[in-house]
Amino acid sequence: MTRTHTARAELSARRRPAMPRWVWPWLLLLPTFLAIGAVAFWPILEGLRLSLTNTSLITRQSDFVGLENYTGLLSDARFWNAWGHTVWFTFASTLLETLIGLGMALVLYERFACRGLVRAAMLVPWAMPTVVTSKMFGWLFDGQNGVVNWLLMNLGIIDAKINWYGNPDTALTTLIIADVWKTAPFMALLLLTGLQTIPKSLTEAARMDGARGWTVFWSIRLPLLMPTLLIAGLFRALDAFRVFDLVYVLTGGGPADSTETLSTLAYKELFSTLEFGYGSTVSTAMFITEAILAGILCLWLVRTIRRVS
Amino acid sequence: MTIKTPHSGGRPGPAHVTQLDRRAFLSTGAAGLGAAALGLPTRARAAGRKQISFATASFFGSETFGDLVDSFNESQDRVMVDYIELPPPSSSTEVYQGLVQQLARGNGTPDVFSQDVIWIAGFAAAGWALPLDEFVDAEMTSKYFEGTLSACKWDGKLTALPWFMDTGMMYYRKDLLDQYGEAVPSTWAEMARIGKAAMEAGDTEFGFLWQGKQAEVLVCDAVEAIASNGGAILADDGRSARIGESAAVEAIQFLYDTINEMKISPSDVLSWDEEPSRQPFTAGKSMFLRNWSYVWPIAQDPSVSEIVGKVGAGPLPHFDGGKSASTLGGYQLGLNANTKERDAAWEFMSWMSAPEQQKRIALNFGLGPSRPALFDDAELNEKQPFMATLRPVFTGATPRPVTPEYAKVTLALQSGISKALVNGEVEKEMTALSGQLDKIVG
Repeated sequence: MTRTHTARAELSARRRPAMPRWVWPWLLLLPTFLAIGAVAFWPILEGLRLSLTNTSLITRQSDFVGLENYTGLLSDARFWNAWGHTVWFTFASTLLETLIGLGMALVLYERFACRGLVRAAMLVPWAMPTVVTSKMFGWLFDGQNGVVNWLLMNLGIIDAKINWYGNPDTALTTLIIADVWKTAPFMALLLLTGLQTIPKSLTEAARMDGARGWTVFWSIRLPLLMPTLLIAGLFRALDAFRVFDLVYVLTGGGPADSTETLSTLAYKELFSTLEFGYGSTVSTAMFITEAILAGILCLWLVRTIRRVS
Repeated sequence: MTIKTPHSGGRPGPAHVTQLDRRAFLSTGAAGLGAAALGLPTRARAAGRKQISFATASFFGSETFGDLVDSFNESQDRVMVDYIELPPPSSSTEVYQGLVQQLARGNGTPDVFSQDVIWIAGFAAAGWALPLDEFVDAEMTSKYFEGTLSACKWDGKLTALPWFMDTGMMYYRKDLLDQYGEAVPSTWAEMARIGKAAMEAGDTEFGFLWQGKQAEVLVCDAVEAIASNGGAILADDGRSARIGESAAVEAIQFLYDTINEMKISPSDVLSWDEEPSRQPFTAGKSMFLRNWSYVWPIAQDPSVSEIVGKVGAGPLPHFDGGKSASTLGGYQLGLNANTKERDAAWEFMSWMSAPEQQKRIALNFGLGPSRPALFDDAELNEKQPFMATLRPVFTGATPRPVTPEYAKVTLALQSGISKALVNGEVEKEMTALSGQLDKIVG
């Protein structure tokens, strides 16, 4: 047995020089390239191609139309309406989730009784499927029987039931609240790991020099946490940008298009009207906006990391 | 005649059988045809029969449509139908996508399919549904409800065969009407007056519940209001919009007023679809409710309803000088234009739509027949007494806009009507909507 093994090893070792050295790494990378190409690049390129055609399953056309879809998109009020909602949703929910998540992480970092239990329990909202969260918030914020209205009325904050989802002024805000509830724990988790990487010696030294809690936070923890904070923010922002299930389940984009987002608009174009051409244009526009967003955050991240190290 | 099939190689017999068994599941039509044309043995149970396939959304009752297909297969020895089950009607977007993908392939599978009324025009315009005029005559069509028939037509041709239907209807509190000595209201104004009175007397919290969520159901509610005022969303030829006309504007204004002027509906209806509006009604909180026929059994179930035995149902009210209208829903049968087995497919379709099968569907699924004569059936009336109520409602069944661009039309309607109901600028929004619709269908 052992002998044959060594014999084989010798054989292959002898054979190796026959192949140019540079081939090996590429050969080993090939499966990865193929996999990523098949699931990431090909769909993106296919989406781009479709966005330049008038492909529709209903009219059964599929002709190249150049940039016609894009000029149509730029003058499409529905698109800009959805674009505005999506950008606002992303900004507001990411900001709130970062702030609340940071607060949660700072609390969970300290030692207290049952800390392990609280850390685990905190993740429950994040573990729930979004559809379940959506249905739950649907009931919480129900205009007639919702517990939120009941609480606010009993506390004397409002004197008439608020119609959270039926009013264009409050519908998007309610969706943001639901999203914050669901994903703030995720931010807290990322930031907690970030906090744990900050050397204890630094904070201990600062305290020895007489620094108070706030000073320790502003001068030591926050600057060192900044890279983690930005990476977590980037993750969240990209995720929030493609919000779909909350809107789809709770409002369907209404009332009066006040909660329409790019994802729901693209879904309607692609799968309700089966206009694959124009629908792909909407998703490509989404992709571009998201790439710009990611680009800005990445630049900021790189600069922060350089400053910290 | 040359037919390309995956089985045309010279493989020995038994291999064909197993191959076909597997294939038949995926592409019954083509495989079945290939085998039949080449005279090869097909499945043992299908020996010597023409093989076709039938795709339908899955409805549930005390049996499934698969059971009906089995009955057909057992009832004769000429045609063998394979049943392709699509998602339930609650996922109608997925059913639609599934059908479009199969029909667009143009390979004749499924030979027969069932379709929501709103897809009929689109399928016909795309050339996927075969006009049925060569199979039917006036005597045959006269046996169906008129509204259903007109929804089954595209460009003057019958492209779908009526199967079963559902429509919007008015549910009311029979006990309270008796208490006030009022008759069932026939106009919207009377309805609003009685609804208001019930609220003021403290008998109910709301007067009238309907569905204003920016979704398909909003279009259904709007069609009923507009048609009951003699208006329409699109012109008869489906090529121009009529929603900017005063009849339509008045109707939408009425819906807006139920919330803001008469205050008989809570503003929550703007985010409600069917179920959220049904719950307060069966909890005894509303005088009137506009909804579909599924509400009836729920309202009569003591475990979920506070109003068992206190409910009545009937046609929706209308405006002065108008006629009651109820939005037509339900699934109708279509014949794939690319089918290779026209006659076999038609035989199956007409069997499905025949009185016996419609009655069986009414009894076992609770779905309304599209043949008025069935409503006189003693057994049906005894086992499903609610069906008798449906006859006058079905008579007023009104199709939603008949256009191949329905998918775009409905999205524009949902957005435009929702805006009007929120901001109250009904005339302005309807004019804008009318312009949009003209662009889509023109």
